[in-house]
Amino acid sequence: MRSLVLVAAAVVIYSASLAAHHSAIQFDFTKSTPVTGVVKKFIAINPHMQLVLHVKDAKGERDIEFEGHSTNNMYRAGYRDNMIKVGDTITVYIAPLKDGSDGGYVTAATTAAGARFGLVSRAQLEQERLKAEGK
Amino acid sequence: MAWCGAMIPTEMTMQRRFRAASRMAAGALVLILFGAIELRAQQPDFTGVWTTYTEPGQGPGGGGGRGGGPPLPMTDVAKQKVAKYQALVQPTGDTPGGYCLGTGMPGSMLGSGGYPMEIHQRPEQIMIVYEAHNEVRRVYLGDRIVPEADRLPGRNGYSNGRWEGNTLVVETTNLVEQVDQRFAHSGKAKIVERYHLEKGVKGETVLVAEMTMTDPEFYTAAVTSVKKWAKVPNGHLLPYECAEENWIKHLEQLEKKAK
Repeated sequence: MRSLVLVAAAVVIYSASLAAHHSAIQFDFTKSTPVTGVVKKFIAINPHMQLVLHVKDAKGERDIEFEGHSTNNMYRAGYRDNMIKVGDTITVYIAPLKDGSDGGYVTAATTAAGARFGLVSRAQLEQERLKAEGK
Repeated sequence: MAWCGAMIPTEMTMQRRFRAASRMAAGALVLILFGAIELRAQQPDFTGVWTTYTEPGQGPGGGGGRGGGPPLPMTDVAKQKVAKYQALVQPTGDTPGGYCLGTGMPGSMLGSGGYPMEIHQRPEQIMIVYEAHNEVRRVYLGDRIVPEADRLPGRNGYSNGRWEGNTLVVETTNLVEQVDQRFAHSGKAKIVERYHLEKGVKGETVLVAEMTMTDPEFYTAAVTSVKKWAKVPNGHLLPYECAEENWIKHLEQLEKKAK
């Protein structure tokens, strides 16, 4: 029950912050895509966190810039100082750019130590529901 | 003797009158004090941290005040100004908040980006702090109301408060023209908020804020909105620094120049 409440609260903050700050039109918030890479730059900052990951995937090896929720929203969703450091390998969950290019809006992350923080997006909830239903 | 004889009853009468008047004055004072205490007892205490309240079955709440909603009864002048602004920012989706600028009234009182707010209440002044961008509103009551000639217009204007029973009525004027929020307005806008407490379906304390804005320059009729806040027991606001990014970028430029 408590986790449900937390999820609900997180969704509230999540959607609220969309209304709040960034140029939401460039991101596809109906999707939640995991991206794994090595941290080259990370600043927890308002109005949006800044992150550069060194990523290796089918497209090759490169640095990708991301932005994400405000420090305040991330803090309420479990982020604490020094959870992410340069050189760490982490996975971020992003709303990808609509045009398909590299980058996106970070809504959650799994740190090198395996800790998870972030806000549960509607897209993520829907994906988890479909996965649970075997679809 | 006749003169003296006449004086004695007059003095006695005056003394009696004085005593009676004193008793009446004391009684009146007691009544006034009890009245004031009773009046104060009627006034609810809004002190505390509040976050967006979501009605059961309602979608996630949020910012409020920044966009969406049915069309507003705008004048032609206002429509033109808002259209010009929208044409400018729509391609990028830029917002004032993205550049560390607070929402301003009435957007601030309608949700301030979905972040919580904190209220400190005293009889002569109520302080409202919105976490996002550390926006602060001071609602002055009684003798603390700022004289009209001493007011500097701004995005949150100047707010005067008064109590109508258990409802706090706040009037805000001295605003500046803003086309960058849902309820765009001119500097001539007047916003009236009415605050009262209710119980939510789960028995939680809910602060209801009813907003009415009139603005002869921007609207052909009054516009209204309602925002509900849920009390956060023992809640705290987080600090909200927003100018760091600009400073970091500036330092990075200095570093590049120095190389």
